[in-house]
Amino acid sequence: MTQHVDVKDVTADPDGSAVPTQDPQEPQDRAMPSPRLAAAVVAGFTALAVGVSVLGGDLLNPAASTTDGDYSGETVEMMIPLAEGGGTDTWARFVATELTHEVPGSPGLAPVNDDGGEGILGTNHFMSSARTDGTEVLVSTASTVVPYLLDMPAVRYDFADLRPILANGTGAVVYARSAAGVQGVEDLVERDKPLVFGGIAATSLDLTTLLAFDLLGADVTSTFGFEGRGPVNLALQRGEVDIDYQTTSSYGPAVEPLVEDGTAVPLFSLGQVDESGEIVRDPNFPDLPTVVEVYEQLNGEQPDADALETYRAILALTYTYQKALWVPEDTPDEAVELLRSTAEEMGADPEFQEAAAEVLGGYPIDASTDLAERIGDAYRVDDAVREDVLELLETDHDITID
Amino acid sequence: MTDAALSALASLADPSLLLMLAIGVLAGLVIGLIPGLGGTGAVAILLPVTFGMEPEAALAMLIGALAVVHTSDTVAAVLLGAPGSASASVTMLDGYSMARQGQAKRALSLAFLSSMAGGLIGAVGLTLAIPLARPLVLSFGSPELFMLTILGVSLAAVLSRGNVVKGLTAGFLGLLLGLVGTSPTTAEERFSFGSLFLSDGVSLVAVALGIFGLAEIASRVGQRRVTEKPVELTGGWGAGIREWVTHWSQVVRGALIGIWAGVLPGVGATAGTWLAYGQAVATAKDKRKFGKGDPRGIVGPESANNSVEAGDLIPTFLFGIPGGVPSAMLLGMLLTYGIQPGPAIVTDHLDLMYLIVWAFAIASVAGAFLCFLATGSLAKLTRVPFAVLGPGLLVIMLLGAYQEGGQIGDLWVMVLLGVVGFFLKATGTPRAPFLIGFVLAIPMERYYYLTASLYDGGSWMLRPGVLVFAAVLIVPVLWALLKKLRGTSGQADDGHRDEHEGPDHDVDDLEGSMAGTTWSAALAVLLVAAFAAALWVSGSFSEEARLMPRLVATCGLVAALVMVWQEAKVWRKRAADVEEAFGEPLGTGGSTMLATRTRPVADEKALARAHDLRIAARTFAAMAGFLVLVMLGGYLAATLVFTPAFLLYAARTRLRTAIVYTVVLGLVLLALPSLLPVDLPMGILQ
Repeated sequence: MTQHVDVKDVTADPDGSAVPTQDPQEPQDRAMPSPRLAAAVVAGFTALAVGVSVLGGDLLNPAASTTDGDYSGETVEMMIPLAEGGGTDTWARFVATELTHEVPGSPGLAPVNDDGGEGILGTNHFMSSARTDGTEVLVSTASTVVPYLLDMPAVRYDFADLRPILANGTGAVVYARSAAGVQGVEDLVERDKPLVFGGIAATSLDLTTLLAFDLLGADVTSTFGFEGRGPVNLALQRGEVDIDYQTTSSYGPAVEPLVEDGTAVPLFSLGQVDESGEIVRDPNFPDLPTVVEVYEQLNGEQPDADALETYRAILALTYTYQKALWVPEDTPDEAVELLRSTAEEMGADPEFQEAAAEVLGGYPIDASTDLAERIGDAYRVDDAVREDVLELLETDHDITID
Repeated sequence: MTDAALSALASLADPSLLLMLAIGVLAGLVIGLIPGLGGTGAVAILLPVTFGMEPEAALAMLIGALAVVHTSDTVAAVLLGAPGSASASVTMLDGYSMARQGQAKRALSLAFLSSMAGGLIGAVGLTLAIPLARPLVLSFGSPELFMLTILGVSLAAVLSRGNVVKGLTAGFLGLLLGLVGTSPTTAEERFSFGSLFLSDGVSLVAVALGIFGLAEIASRVGQRRVTEKPVELTGGWGAGIREWVTHWSQVVRGALIGIWAGVLPGVGATAGTWLAYGQAVATAKDKRKFGKGDPRGIVGPESANNSVEAGDLIPTFLFGIPGGVPSAMLLGMLLTYGIQPGPAIVTDHLDLMYLIVWAFAIASVAGAFLCFLATGSLAKLTRVPFAVLGPGLLVIMLLGAYQEGGQIGDLWVMVLLGVVGFFLKATGTPRAPFLIGFVLAIPMERYYYLTASLYDGGSWMLRPGVLVFAAVLIVPVLWALLKKLRGTSGQADDGHRDEHEGPDHDVDDLEGSMAGTTWSAALAVLLVAAFAAALWVSGSFSEEARLMPRLVATCGLVAALVMVWQEAKVWRKRAADVEEAFGEPLGTGGSTMLATRTRPVADEKALARAHDLRIAARTFAAMAGFLVLVMLGGYLAATLVFTPAFLLYAARTRLRTAIVYTVVLGLVLLALPSLLPVDLPMGILQ
């Protein structure tokens, strides 16, 4: 019906050329085209516009459905709540491209970057509007997990209402500038002059390292405001900061050369949480002690159980299960199971492991059957832990979350 | 080393690699033409294509696109006054003036040839700078980077056309806008008034396109005439090349500054283009034409903004610290091939590094050459009346701004800034410092804070780099003062021009037309109020987060008060003039705030002003109406309604033009999302 009106208006157009043709360069004194005709043209386009917005939307974006777990001919939309080009973006694009190739039916992949509010806006948006048929996937990372953990007011998502497909961890190493008078872990405590730690923000991934310093009672003062970890590494080389950490993938290129020429000393790794919930050495740094071992070495005893529990919970959340792919809770079991089992097979494939070595940073894709349970445990943070963290932020860094 | 370089060149002779390079160059050129997409858009569209390719082919394609984006983004800045990036706004100063004098072709040829040379010199610099990069980057600590941001904003304020007080006020206003959002040091929200949208800060593309592009549409839609001077399309390519060659030393200097600035992570690229412009002005004997279409104002910065891209690759590859989103994506791509950035890349992947250098050089030449061939037809664009270009431009620019954050709020901010830009322009307040202040606000705060926390007391001020920058900042001012004291003033050597000298050949009738009127007085008072309000609001921030907003608001307040005082002086003077002199022509300079006018002239001007204001008000209302339509029915539907209505009722084009125009625009919007990484805003009815 709307189409019909439009066609009629367009055919009425030749009448309009009764308006004397003029050179477009001298239109200053042109009379208005006949008001009736002008109104008709505008009305015609309005009708077309209404047609486009009412009908076109469905025609252009046919609704997808994979309730039966059949992905052929579908397109999986992946919400990356961070900017293009970052570590998470690279990871997500790579893993999802490989995964959609492996899923039976080889669905297409449409990554969407929505980097509002450091990841919070995009995740909120996914939570409120994602389709529950297995064609929309969310990427989570430390910058969306930490605000969730701290219960920030802007957060309107809850990982308990999502189902994990796969997870991938990373690790980190704390190192210091030798010229600041650090030869080993014993130089972390009882110092004349505290070590300067360079950070991005206390409420970012830096949180875990701050907790480690707190656990050890290390003599460290923090200066936040750096743009990223790369600039902190440079600032350390310039002598502006004394102590820093780098995640596994950047440790090799950024820190190893400094260790070789004696500029820096590696101190400890943040560790990994194993399947039984214990803090163990990072498989990528088997020679470096964990925070817990350093504590024992310095104090000759186990750390306080509550403090250790807080550190363990945050470590699991921010490192061991740092990046994950999720689907909405109401997604059909068949679809979730198909994605998860495909991811598990893909993770075990040596060919994939080789291709993905750099992107995964040496940590395997975790998609085993009990992933949901383990990740659920990790993300279900006790109030006691949350209060510990909030207290640390308030007393040491003057930050209150309202 | 030469072996690796030559073998990399030989590998580029492989037709499949050349093909990839050509695809990259074409994509980069096309995307650069659309204001707002820029390098990010170019890499985003090509990145998915490269998955599964050999690293060489993928790199050739991406580098090809990155190398030429800043060549073609000049087109919108020069022809339409709509810069899509902070660096294009520098070329705009002289390029747009030249185009408005009917010399669009000349401006574009100069720009393209300089881009080509900048890219080539950048590629050579990339090779030579690799061994020097590490000491260079390590010698620039937080204090030096902080001084660099100060230098960038001050240069923009002093060198932009108009008086220095207005330039500084605009710079402070830009800094203030840049501080909206999350504080870099304490992660608390400032000036966001509880809105999550504002907590991200305002989008750069929305600011650049709003303050320049939309303001330009609003001020020129009223002019049915094309340009006041006929478009000159005479002069073959030879003439363009000959003129350009006479400025070769500016090209080289601009390119060198660009490489140097690009190497410094974070702040270099934006400040670098201004430094290139600054040195062009500082070393010129006759400075009067800068800002009014001086070729030297195009050549230097344009050469710099291409070599900056090359320089930017150095921190990206050697330290894994990308200077912008495009290089960050490039970095991500390298990572998927298992190539780790870091100092070792030079030894482990030397062949790839040389491939990048060669690809960059070849792409620069090819891209600039293609653009250069097209200058004639591009320049013809200035023959189309703005009233007709308006709706299409508006639709494309708003779409470009939407891509950065995917928020309709950005589009409202953009229209609002369009209104601000219109009044800044009309009252003769330079807008470039506003944009540069906006871009550098966060880096300035970051490095100031880091400097203050990491260094004891004022010890950082004695670092050699800081002293050099301070000298660059202060010496010209002292020199000018000294000259003034000696009484040898006249040739305004302090960089800014009083614009009293000689007959004004300026063709832009809006620029400064409201200077010295109630409007500019009102603007000055409004600015005082804005800075005072910001000062008051910043009282509620934590101590660390308060530092920078307070400083900016206080300085801005002082500058705005001086502006009010200047306005008051003009008022008093005019009142006195009206009393004693009648009919005696005192001055004809239309674009200066100090110009005195006699009554009959004043009446005519007042009428023209009222006309301009009416048209601008109508245009901004139309833009707001368009956004309402977008929120209701989505972008495509809104365009289909808005375009014919605007063309028929505001531009009064022929029916056929309106219909064909709308249909073509509609089809472009329909096809765009599948061709480019572009999302159309959705309406609530969709």
